[in-house]
Amino acid sequence: MLNSFIKAYNEAVFETDKDAAFNAVNAALAVGIRAEDVVFKIVIPAVEEMMSSISQDPDANLAQHFMTAQIAAEVTEKMLEKFDHPPEIVGRVVIGTAHGDLHSLGKRIVMGCLKALMVEATDLGANVPAQRFVDEALAHDAQVIAVSAMMVHTAIGENGARKVRRLLRERGLEERIKLIVGGAPYRYDAELFQTVGADAWAADGVSAARTIIHLIEQVKHHEVVANL
Amino acid sequence: MKSLQIFEAALNGGPAPRIPIFCNLFEQGARELGMSQQQYYAKGEHVAVGQLKLRQRYGYDNVWSLFYVGREAELLGCREILYTEDGPPNVADFPIKSYDDIAKLEIPADITAHPLWAETAQCLQILQQEVGTTHPICAYITASTTLPAMLMGMDQWLELLLAGPVDVRDELLRKCSLFVQQEIAAYRAAGANVLVYSTPFGTTALLDRKRFNAIALPWMKADLTPGGVGNIVYLCGMAPFNNVITQVLDQLAIPVYYISPMADLAEAKALIGNRALTCGVIDDIKMIRWTPHQIRAEVRRLCEVGMVGRHFLFGTALMPLAVPEVAIRTMLEAAFEYGRYR
Repeated sequence: MLNSFIKAYNEAVFETDKDAAFNAVNAALAVGIRAEDVVFKIVIPAVEEMMSSISQDPDANLAQHFMTAQIAAEVTEKMLEKFDHPPEIVGRVVIGTAHGDLHSLGKRIVMGCLKALMVEATDLGANVPAQRFVDEALAHDAQVIAVSAMMVHTAIGENGARKVRRLLRERGLEERIKLIVGGAPYRYDAELFQTVGADAWAADGVSAARTIIHLIEQVKHHEVVANL
Repeated sequence: MKSLQIFEAALNGGPAPRIPIFCNLFEQGARELGMSQQQYYAKGEHVAVGQLKLRQRYGYDNVWSLFYVGREAELLGCREILYTEDGPPNVADFPIKSYDDIAKLEIPADITAHPLWAETAQCLQILQQEVGTTHPICAYITASTTLPAMLMGMDQWLELLLAGPVDVRDELLRKCSLFVQQEIAAYRAAGANVLVYSTPFGTTALLDRKRFNAIALPWMKADLTPGGVGNIVYLCGMAPFNNVITQVLDQLAIPVYYISPMADLAEAKALIGNRALTCGVIDDIKMIRWTPHQIRAEVRRLCEVGMVGRHFLFGTALMPLAVPEVAIRTMLEAAFEYGRYR
């Protein structure tokens, strides 16, 4: 029976039909499927499916990314209220747009996917100074800083990710906190992320969530090795 | 032949010694005049003089009447622009903060009566006077489906577009389209002869095909039908749009296509053929780090692919301030060299 709800939910997400996605979830709950199963067996696999299809399908579009993230985040938020026990958090990330950049769409897509994937994401908003990224990452014990930039000067300028990298280096935090960047300029030049000293980049908001999880795993692995 | 004639020859497939070469320099104008960005953009005269000096310095074919993209939002109520010295100005205040504001949004009865338009008109008057008969004068028009992103923020607009109340969405699109129709007429009347129609939602990179057909295409028709498509350039930001070219050609008959640097130019050229003008666009973000050799090779490649059968223009995308002067010169030298018809 679960399979029919998975199919209905996946189709709704693919068609960016939010109402149909919620109908599938509500129908699943109505027949007694647990909220935990809705999240872990329907919502998260759908996000992962979208991640795969985006990397394989050149026709995947921004509308799908956006709605996948929004639907997943909203469903997850509602389901979490019904969980018997709070779920285990995969890791923590602070995210914002680079200093001077007011474009928040990419950040919002990433946040939505992270929420569904059980990553605790702290939204620092738009036009965030580099110092604040680092301070907030420490305050939230985050493994990853995610900097979104939609314009060339905010993507490569001295006050964006480049400065975050410099601060991490100066404060000896490079093993403890990883830096990921995303946004249009990085798509037009796939080598650009290296010039600003980022550990990784992602071509779109949905794939960014997966890359962030890999970075969290790297940091955790490093901590385990360091504690041996 | 003058630049304007070369452009017209490319448009019509007529004989010309070379392809037209467009270079889109904007913020560089402030540096040229030794001004801050905010000072520069305060006066139409500054923008016109900046454009003329840049064109004279580098020798490419076109000039621009565009100040910055957010200017359209200012004409519709945006009260704050964020200036910076290393990039373009940004909209910092969205006039639409809730759906109620959409009902309140007023499209000026005559945008040419707006004080900010007076600066654009001044810019165009100078350009027209100086190069009106010799060079293409470009204007930038944001499509009705994209304008809302500047009025309410891209994420709020996507939310309304994809999952919001249809009547509210359509009211906003209707108002934006009325603005676009006025803007097109005003630019033409003021002397702009190349109208770059920026329509990022006119690609399936942003919208699925169903919404492209149901929303983007009809609103593009609404924007363009009243004034006609003469000298309209189809630009989807920098997103690829090869898979809608035939449909746009068939249904809108737009005469110029500014192809994404991420798209397959040969495929685009094959689709467009001699029905319209194909613009081969260099990835100028890569130009920030490319060597002169790499720049020359890319210009050569674009020219070799695009010049077959004529109807071809070489152009740049956004030309960020970070692109070094030597890179601009190398690119243009190569474009003039490889863009010659033998």
